[in-house]
Amino acid sequence: MTDERRLLEGIGVSPRVGFGTGRWIGESRAETENPTTDEVDPAVEQSRYESAREVAHDSIDRDRKRALERIGENEASVFEAHREFLTDPQLTDAIETAIDDGEPAPRAVKSAFADPIEQFETMDGPMAERADDLRDVRDRLVRTLEGTDNVALESLPSGTVVLAERLTPSETARLDPERVAGFITQTGGRTAHTAIFARSLGISAVVGIEAELAALDGEPLLVDGEAGTVIVNPTRQEQRMATAGVAQTVRSEPAETRDGQEIEVAANVGTLADLEPAREHGADGIGLFRSEFLFLERTDPPDEASQRTAYRQALEAFPNGRVIFRTLDVGGDKPISYLDMPAEGNPFLGERGIRRSLEQDRDLFEQQLRALCQAGGAVGDDGGTLSIMFPMITTVEECEAALSVLADVLEGLSETGTPAARPDVGVMIETPSAALLAAELADRVDFLSIGTNDLTQYVMAAARENERVAGLHDPLHPPVLRLLEGVVADAHEQNAWVGMCGEMAGEPRYTPLLVGLGFDELSMSAVSIPEVKDRISGIDTAEAEELAEHLLECHTRGEVTAALERWSAGVQEGT
Amino acid sequence: MERTVTVVPEAGLHARPAATVVQTVNQHEATVQLATDGSEPVPANSMLAVSGLGVATGEQVRVIADGPDAESVLDAIEAILSSPLEEE
Repeated sequence: MTDERRLLEGIGVSPRVGFGTGRWIGESRAETENPTTDEVDPAVEQSRYESAREVAHDSIDRDRKRALERIGENEASVFEAHREFLTDPQLTDAIETAIDDGEPAPRAVKSAFADPIEQFETMDGPMAERADDLRDVRDRLVRTLEGTDNVALESLPSGTVVLAERLTPSETARLDPERVAGFITQTGGRTAHTAIFARSLGISAVVGIEAELAALDGEPLLVDGEAGTVIVNPTRQEQRMATAGVAQTVRSEPAETRDGQEIEVAANVGTLADLEPAREHGADGIGLFRSEFLFLERTDPPDEASQRTAYRQALEAFPNGRVIFRTLDVGGDKPISYLDMPAEGNPFLGERGIRRSLEQDRDLFEQQLRALCQAGGAVGDDGGTLSIMFPMITTVEECEAALSVLADVLEGLSETGTPAARPDVGVMIETPSAALLAAELADRVDFLSIGTNDLTQYVMAAARENERVAGLHDPLHPPVLRLLEGVVADAHEQNAWVGMCGEMAGEPRYTPLLVGLGFDELSMSAVSIPEVKDRISGIDTAEAEELAEHLLECHTRGEVTAALERWSAGVQEGT
Repeated sequence: MERTVTVVPEAGLHARPAATVVQTVNQHEATVQLATDGSEPVPANSMLAVSGLGVATGEQVRVIADGPDAESVLDAIEAILSSPLEEE
C-alpha cells in the first residue's frame, strides 16, 4: 500500500462528507455456495426452514420498528414489503418443493430466490430495487439457517467507512450514524432504499464505485456523498474540511414566508442519536422529544440522574431554540415490562399517556417532571427553552391535574433550593375532545401541539395500523381539516401558539395549507426539514390563507386533494 | 367480479402499496388477481407477482376477485390504490 492520494468516482447518494478508515465487510453474504451434504432429511430441513422463517419474521419486525423510530414511516415500510416476500406463496412453495426433493434448507432458499432476483435485477427503476429487497430477505433466512451472523454493523468502531459489494436496506438501517463516517459500495443507485436510508440517517455514501473495494480495507478515506467521489489518503486540509462539512442545501436560519412571516421548523426525535442529525438538517429546535426511549428495553425505570443527563443533552443541542419534551406516553400497545400494563381490548381507547401518568404511573411522572425542570435549571441560558407537553389529554380536568403536579414538583424543588427552570407548558391535541376544548385548554397553557396521526385515527374512527381502513386514515378528510382550523383559531384567541408534530407536518405538499391555517410551528423527521423550509420561503401568507379557506369548504377528501393539486400546479405555473 | 383502478400512490404498485395489497388479500376470503393492459392476471396474494407487474403511478390495473369477500376485498384494494399517501 502506498500513501499516495487517489480519487475514485462513483455516485453520491447522500449530501454529506465523511472521513474515516475503510473496513471491508465482504461480498453479498449469501452468494457463496456451500458444499453439498449427503445426509439430508427433508422433514428436518422443512422444520429448520419453518423456524428460520419465524426468526426472520421477528427480525424484520424489529428492523421495521427501529427504522420507524430512527428514519421515518415511509422508509420503515420497506420492511413490510420484506415481510410479504418472506411469506410469499410462490417463494415458499419453491423452497418447500426443493426441500422435499432432498435439498438442504439453505440451498433450497438460495435457489428459490435466485431467479426472481435475477429477473428484477434486469428491470429498470423501482423494479430493480426489489432485487435488493429479495436479497435482504434471502440473507436473513440463510444467516439464520447457517448460524452465520454477519459483521456486527451496530457496533463498528467510530470513524469506520464501511466497504461492501452491496448493502441491503436492513444492513444500512443498522448502521450507527454516530460511529459510521460513511459507506462505499460497488453496486447501487440514487433511488435505492439503501441510498434513501443513508440520506435519512445522515450518513455519507457513495455507491457504484467500480474499483476493488476490498483493497481499501484499513486505508484513510474521504467519502464525499455530494460529489460522488472517494479520496484515498486525503490531504490534512481535506480531512479537516470533511469533518466540518455539511450539505449546502440545509438552512440553519429560521424559515420565513415571502411576506416575512416566520414559521418555526423543528424536529421530532426518538433518541439522543437523533439530535445531531436534527441540527444538521437545520432544525430550529425540537418539537417533539419522545421520552419513551429512556424507559423502553429495561427491566426497571431509569433513575432521575440519568434522565436529567439525557434531557440536558437535548437542551444543550439547541441553545437558541426550543426543546419540547413529551412526558411518558405509553399504553397497552407499547408495553413496558416493569409497569403494570394489563392487556386491554382496545389499547388506543384505554389507559395511556396522561391517563396513566396521573394514576398508576404518578411517581414516574413526578420524577420525570423533576428531572426535566432540573435539567432546565442546570443548563440555564446556555440551553434551549425548556418546554413540556402532556400527551393524550381529553379533559380540562386532566390538564389542570397535570399542571398541578408540575406546580408541586416546582415547589418541592424550590423548597430544597435545587436549581430548576419553569418550563413553558403545552398540551397535545390528539383527541377530538381536546380539539373541541382547544380554547379552554389554551387558556391554561402556553401552547398546543397537534398530533395528526392520532387525531385522524380518533376523528375518522380508523385505526392507524389497519390497512383495510387506510383510505379513511387521512388528515385531508374535511372533518380533520376543520378541527385543525378550529384549534388554531381558538388557541390564537387565547394567546397560545400552535404547532403540529404529526406526519402531516413533514409532508411538503401540505406546507402551504398548514401555513394558511396559521400554524406557528411544524415539527417533523429531521430529513424533511430542508424541503419544508424551502417550501415555506416560497409561500405568500395571504395566498396560503385563501387556499386553506377554499379547502375548508370542500365536502370530500377527493375535492380537497384535487383542489390542493390544482393549487400547487397553479403556483408552479405562476412562478 | 372485477374493477379497474388507477394507481395513485407515487411509488406505484411497489414497496408499501404492494405489501398492503397483499396483506389485504390475505385477510379476505377471496381469490384475487391483478392484471395490467399487457399482462396475464397474476395472484394478488404474492408479493413477488404483484411487484413483478411493475405498475407505475397513474397506470391502470384490473382487479379480479372471486369468493365470499369479493366485494369487500375490491373495495379495500380500491381504497389502497386510490389513496395518495402511503401512511399518515
